[in-house]
Amino acid sequence: MSGLIPLTVRELKKWYRNPVFFFVGLIQPIFWIVLFGSAFDLAKLLGTAGVNSPLSPFYPAPNYITFIIGGILTTTSLFTGMFAGVNIIWDRRLGPMSRFLVSPISRSSIVFSKVLSSTFRILVQAVILIAAALIIPNGLVLRKGFNVFDVFVIVVALVLIAFSFSSLFSIIAIRLRKMETVFGIINLINLPLIFASFALFPKALMASWLGTVAEYNPVSWSSEAIRTVLLYGNLTSSQTHSVLLYLLYLGLLATFLVVLTYILSEKEIRD
Amino acid sequence: MTDYIIETENLTKTYPGNIQAVKGIHLQIKQGEIFGFLGPNGAGKTTTIKMLSTSITPTSGSASIMGYDIVKDSLRVRRNIGVVPQDLTADEDLKAVENLRMIARFYDLPKVPSNKKIAELLNLVDLGDVGGHYVRTFSGGMRKRLELIMGLVNEPKVLFLDEPTLGLDVQTRAKMWDYIKKVREDLGVTIILTTHYLEEADELSDRICIIDHGNIITIGTSAELKASLKGDSIIVETKDEESLKTVAEFSGSLEEPAINGKEIRLTVKDADSDLPLLMDFMIKKGITPMKMSVQKPSLDQVFLKLTGNEIREDSGESAFKQALTMRRMRR
Repeated sequence: MSGLIPLTVRELKKWYRNPVFFFVGLIQPIFWIVLFGSAFDLAKLLGTAGVNSPLSPFYPAPNYITFIIGGILTTTSLFTGMFAGVNIIWDRRLGPMSRFLVSPISRSSIVFSKVLSSTFRILVQAVILIAAALIIPNGLVLRKGFNVFDVFVIVVALVLIAFSFSSLFSIIAIRLRKMETVFGIINLINLPLIFASFALFPKALMASWLGTVAEYNPVSWSSEAIRTVLLYGNLTSSQTHSVLLYLLYLGLLATFLVVLTYILSEKEIRD
Repeated sequence: MTDYIIETENLTKTYPGNIQAVKGIHLQIKQGEIFGFLGPNGAGKTTTIKMLSTSITPTSGSASIMGYDIVKDSLRVRRNIGVVPQDLTADEDLKAVENLRMIARFYDLPKVPSNKKIAELLNLVDLGDVGGHYVRTFSGGMRKRLELIMGLVNEPKVLFLDEPTLGLDVQTRAKMWDYIKKVREDLGVTIILTTHYLEEADELSDRICIIDHGNIITIGTSAELKASLKGDSIIVETKDEESLKTVAEFSGSLEEPAINGKEIRLTVKDADSDLPLLMDFMIKKGITPMKMSVQKPSLDQVFLKLTGNEIREDSGESAFKQALTMRRMRR
């Protein structure tokens, strides 16, 4: 995989040097939690007693922000993963791709540098997002038993979902030439991925068919895994089991997409 | 082993839709020469260069660079060549040195010597002062110079230049020529270039290969190609076609004169001494010329004679459009 490191460094340089890009990428998820997270005041919806009742569909979330953090982290990685694909098209349209293709580097390293840099960006965004959610009034409330295993689950879930989405969008971009087409496809798949999932709403509140569909959505897997560790902290063994199962699904999906990306990029990428 | 650094055997490229871009060319390129492919847009120059530089694989036939097969040994070929593609390839959001250092990493070159090499290259093309500037601040000529040295970071033995001055103004182009010559002199690389500018092929190339519709028309030095025209031309225009027949009888003409309307084209050995003789001859016969002009041999005429077409100096825009069409075909 020669070329992977210099190309990843290039991507990250371009990212942190572009202030608009950099800050928009950080501010946008904060908007999500502050604005969308405040859209539902659980206390108004369910009453103070309702929020603390195990019958609440959001139980044991003390507020909506705490409930959706896992979903927002996942959706953010979906949006950031898009740039992996978009940047492949830019490289092709602006010329650098011709240079990469005549260099003695493996063709997949061109694509994987985008995947790696997107993943890195997603982790940075996640740290800032969680910090922001902790600071704001009536924001994220961490359980007392929050531990290293929980942090591990969040990081692994995000890395796997980041690898999956940025690989997916790269695969779309490998064959496409037009920016408009890429954005069209991205918009087409982003909406169902977000709304047919447990990212923003619990299954209990969904139409039953949507709830069934959402169970097969990787956005749900990552959201639920992160949500479980954030809401419960110290997990029971059955909770640990379901969280690990989500991570396994995510791992399988990521492996499949990364291998597919490798094969397609070695074979198909052209200027 | 041979003395040739590049050899091709029946090299062919056919694009989907049975578009024959290159129709089986045989070539032998010597170490250290500047070899120019000259032809109109769409002639197959870029396709040939892309095959030789391993960006695309030939449909059939073979080629080797420094003895390495371009298909079987493509990675080794890639390590030994430098390529300057037609498009600008530098990343505008990086500094010039950062672009060059990234390329050095692609070749796994050790940091210290490659950084030194990069500084030398920047000085070679007079970009030493702006190495730390972002590429987006560069002018068109500066960017082309940067592209030139981007192909030299790995100290290649062979450098491919695809239309190195496309879209540059006349002054910048002449400067670019000087830099290309300097690269050959200072670094001793063999340079393969494509161009559709006759003056460029004439000015830079040791040998010129005229290529049209995917075929090699001829290969030779600029002087050889011009000598193939056998002499200078004198063009005479008269009032009536009858007198042209008389003019055609002029004894100094080397070939059967070509008559076209009221114009006659005589090929003579040396127009400077033959023109007064022709004048004398015409006065004696009582013919008054309307117009007379002399043409010294030029690559333009060579091209005209060999292909039956004039190589059009396309306006930048239409050349660009054609290049785009070709690019789409290659995809």
